[in-house]
Amino acid sequence: MPDGASAGLRPDLPHPVRAGEDLLFLDAISKEFPGVRALQGVSFDLRRGEVHAVCGENGAGKSTLMKIVSGVFAPTAGRIVYKGVERRFSSPLDAEALGIAIIHQELNLVPHLSVAENIYLAREPRRGFLVDRKALRTNAAACLARLGVAIDPDRPVRGLSVAQCQMVEIAKALSLNAEVLIMDEPTSSLTEQETRRLFKVIHDLKAAGVGIVYISHRLDEMAEIVDRVTVLRDGHHVATTDFAATTVDEIVARMVGRSLEEKFPERTSRPAGDCLLKVEGLARSGVFADVGFELRRGEILGFAGLMGSGRTEVARAIFGADPRDAGTVTLEGRRLDIRSPRDAIAAGLAYLSEDRKAQGLAIKMPVDANMTLANMEAVSNRFGLIDFAREAEVARRYVDLLNIRTPTIHQPVRLLSGGNQQKIIIGKWLFRKSRVLFFDEPTRGIDVGAKFAIYRIMDELAAEGIGVVLISSELPEILGMTDRVCVFHQGRIAGILETARTDQEEIMRYASGYGPAHSRH
Amino acid sequence: MTMTDPPARPPAEPAIAPRRGLTDRQKDILQKFAALGSLLVLILVFSLTSGAFFTVSNGMTIALQVTSIALLGIGATCVIITGGIDLSVGSVLALSGVVAALGVKELGMPVPVGMALGILTGAACGLLNGLVVTVMRLPPFIATLGMMLIARGVALQITGARAVSGLGESFGELGNGALFRMVTIGDDGFPNVAFPGIPYPVILMAAIALAVSLMLNRSVLGRHIYAVGSNVEAARLSGVNVRRVVCFTYVLSGTLAGLTGCVLMSRLVTAQPNEGVMYELDAIASAVIGGTSLIGGVGTISGTAIGAFVIGILRNGLNMNGVSAFTQQIIIGLVILLTVWIDQLRNRR
Repeated sequence: MPDGASAGLRPDLPHPVRAGEDLLFLDAISKEFPGVRALQGVSFDLRRGEVHAVCGENGAGKSTLMKIVSGVFAPTAGRIVYKGVERRFSSPLDAEALGIAIIHQELNLVPHLSVAENIYLAREPRRGFLVDRKALRTNAAACLARLGVAIDPDRPVRGLSVAQCQMVEIAKALSLNAEVLIMDEPTSSLTEQETRRLFKVIHDLKAAGVGIVYISHRLDEMAEIVDRVTVLRDGHHVATTDFAATTVDEIVARMVGRSLEEKFPERTSRPAGDCLLKVEGLARSGVFADVGFELRRGEILGFAGLMGSGRTEVARAIFGADPRDAGTVTLEGRRLDIRSPRDAIAAGLAYLSEDRKAQGLAIKMPVDANMTLANMEAVSNRFGLIDFAREAEVARRYVDLLNIRTPTIHQPVRLLSGGNQQKIIIGKWLFRKSRVLFFDEPTRGIDVGAKFAIYRIMDELAAEGIGVVLISSELPEILGMTDRVCVFHQGRIAGILETARTDQEEIMRYASGYGPAHSRH
Repeated sequence: MTMTDPPARPPAEPAIAPRRGLTDRQKDILQKFAALGSLLVLILVFSLTSGAFFTVSNGMTIALQVTSIALLGIGATCVIITGGIDLSVGSVLALSGVVAALGVKELGMPVPVGMALGILTGAACGLLNGLVVTVMRLPPFIATLGMMLIARGVALQITGARAVSGLGESFGELGNGALFRMVTIGDDGFPNVAFPGIPYPVILMAAIALAVSLMLNRSVLGRHIYAVGSNVEAARLSGVNVRRVVCFTYVLSGTLAGLTGCVLMSRLVTAQPNEGVMYELDAIASAVIGGTSLIGGVGTISGTAIGAFVIGILRNGLNMNGVSAFTQQIIIGLVILLTVWIDQLRNRR
C-alpha cells in the first residue's frame, strides 16, 4: 500500500513514484452515499504509458472510484491531482476537457446519429453556424484510421456490433486527445478475435503515452496488457503491485479476502433418468430452425455457441417472450401451449434474462416487491390485497437462503451489487416453485465469490430435481457445471455433447460449424 | 411543524454532495412535508391577507373547486406511474357530461341512469385510449391527443355546440347537494345556514382517493402498475399482464373524467360541450407537484391530493386578493416549475 500514507499538501513529496511521472494521483478518496460508504481513503496513481488494472468484487468501489475520476461524482473527502495540479471536477465535461475520458461498460452512443457525428457529438467542427460536414468526416475518419479499424464514418451507429461501438468510443476518446483513458469491462461482450484487436489498440495507445485504467473481471486476459494492478475490497484499498510480480490466484484471494481453492462447486446432483422438458422442431424464421432437445430431471444442460447463434432466442421463444413459428414444448409429458411469459410461468418455467437491469428487475422497487413479483397470488388474499407480513416473511426467507447482502428487504434493488441482484431474481423464481429454470449468462459482470455462490445454487436446484438450462459464453463455466451441452451454430443445434467426454476445442469446433471431428476415440 | 422550514430546505442543499444518512423512505417523507409545508404556508399567507379566506364556507368552496382537479389527477397519477400520459380527460369530461345531460333531456332517462351512461362514456373513451396504446402501440401522448380532439368534436357535434339546459332540479343534486347541511329558519323568516354541509363531490373525492390509494399501495394490481412503470420488460417476463394493467389505468382515468364531467355539469345544472378545456394540464400538474415522476414508476395519491389543493388554494386565495386571472396563470406556472425543480434536486446525486 504505497500511497496510503501521503497526507502532505504537495502531491509529489511523500509519494514513492518519482515526481513528474505521475499522470493522475488520487489521494485518500472517500465517498459516501446515503447509508453506504462506497469508498474509504482509497489512493491510486496512474503513470504515463501504463495500463493499470483495478480489480475487486462487485460493490468493492471500482465504478464509484472511476466515476469520481471522470467527474460524475464529487468525492466526500480526498484530493484528485492531475498532472501535478489539484482538481475538482463539477461534471464529466470538466474532466473530459482536461483529457480524462471514460468508456462505460454500457456504451453511450446515440444510435440514430452517424459514427462521425457520435465521435464529435457536442464538439462538431463548424463553419459559421453550420456543421462543417466535410471536416467532421475527415477528422472522424482520421481517428478511426489511427485505430486501424475499418468503419465507415457515415454509417449510423444503430447497425454496428458491440465491438465496433467500442472502437467508436475509443476513437471519440482519441479525438479528445485524452491522456487518461478509463475502460470499464471493455471485453465483456467481445469475441476472442475482437478482444485481440482491442489489445493491439491498447498497446498502441500505451506507446503514445496514454495512461489507461482497465477494469475487468477477466483476470486471465490481463497478463497481455496490464502493467500494475490495484485491488479494492469493500471500499478499501487492499494492494497495488506490478502485475508481473503477482498471480491471478493471489489477486483473487485479495479480492475476496480468502483463497478460492476451486472455481466451481462439486456437483452433488445427478440427473434422474426421466425426461422433464422436451422441445421438438422449434423454429422461428430467420432466427433459428429445427431445434430439439430433452432436459432430464435434475440435469444441468448447457447452451453453448457464439454470440448470435440463437441460444438466447431459443430460450426466450420457449418461455413465450418472443414469438415462434413452429415446434412443440412438452413438460412432464404434458404438451404446453405457451403464448406469453404468463403461460410459461404458470406451467412452471422460469427465464433469468442476460440483462438484469433492462429485463430482470424493477430497479426502483424494493427487494421484497421484486422477490414476489412473479407469484403475487401467494402473498395476497382473494380480494387481490397484499399481505405485507407474509410478503416480508417470504423476502426474508429467500434473503437468508440465498445469502443476499442487503441492509433491509425494503432497499431499492438498484442500490445492490450485481451478484445480489442476480440472487434476488433467482429468489423470485424459487418462490414461484419453477420446475425448469433457464439461466441466461447468470454470472456476467458478477464477482468471483458471488459466481461460486450462484453455481452452488444451480447445483442445489438440480439436486432437488429441477431442470436447469445454463446459457453461457464462458466455456469453462459450461464445462464446469453442466451434464450435457447443446452447441448452437447459426440457429441450429450443431451437436449435443456429454460434458464429461468433451472439451473446449470440440465445443468450439461445433460452435463454428465444423461439426463432429474425424472420429475422436 | 414550522411553517417556514420546509420550502426553504431543498434549494439550500448543494447539488453534488447528497445529505448523508437519509434513506429513500426518509427522503420520501421529507418531500411530502415539503409539499404539505408549502400548502400550509399558502393557507397562512392567504389567511393573513384576506379575512374571508379562512372560514368554513370558503373551505368548502375550495374543497368543491379542488374536486375536479383531484379526481382527474388521481386518474392521471395512475397513468403516469405506468409511464404513460392522458391528455384527453378535459374533452372526455365534456363529452360524458353532455351525454348524461342529453340522456336525461332527450331520451327521458332518470338522472342516475343518465349519469351512469355519462360515466360509461368516459370509461369507453379510456378503454379506447388503452387499446390504442397497447394494441396499436401508439405513444400515449399521440393516442390521447387524438382522443382529446375526437371527444371534444363529438361533444360539440351532438349538442350543435350549444349548452344543454333545462335539465330539472334533480340533475343538480350531485353537484350542489351536501351532507350534514344545517339550516335554521331565523326570526325574520329567512333561512340561516348554520353549517354549509359537506358537498357530495367532496365526499366522492375523498372516497375515491382512499379507494385508489388502497388499490395502489395494497393490491396486486397496484403493485403491477408500479412494476410496469419501473421496468416494463421485467414485469412482462415476470408474468405481469402488461396490456391489461396499462389498459386499466386509462379506463380508470376515463371513468374518473366521466364522473368529473357529471359532477361539473350537475353543479351548473347545464351541460356545456366547451367545459373542461385544459383541465388535463391541471390534472398532470397536480400529480407532478405531488411528486409523480413522468418517467414512470413513482407517484402517490396523497401527493397528488396535496398537489390538487396547492393549485386550488392558489386560485382561490389569489382570487380573494383580487389578483387577475392572467397573473394567476403566471404564478401557477412558476409554482409547477419550482416544485418539480425541488424534486429534481432531491433526486440528484
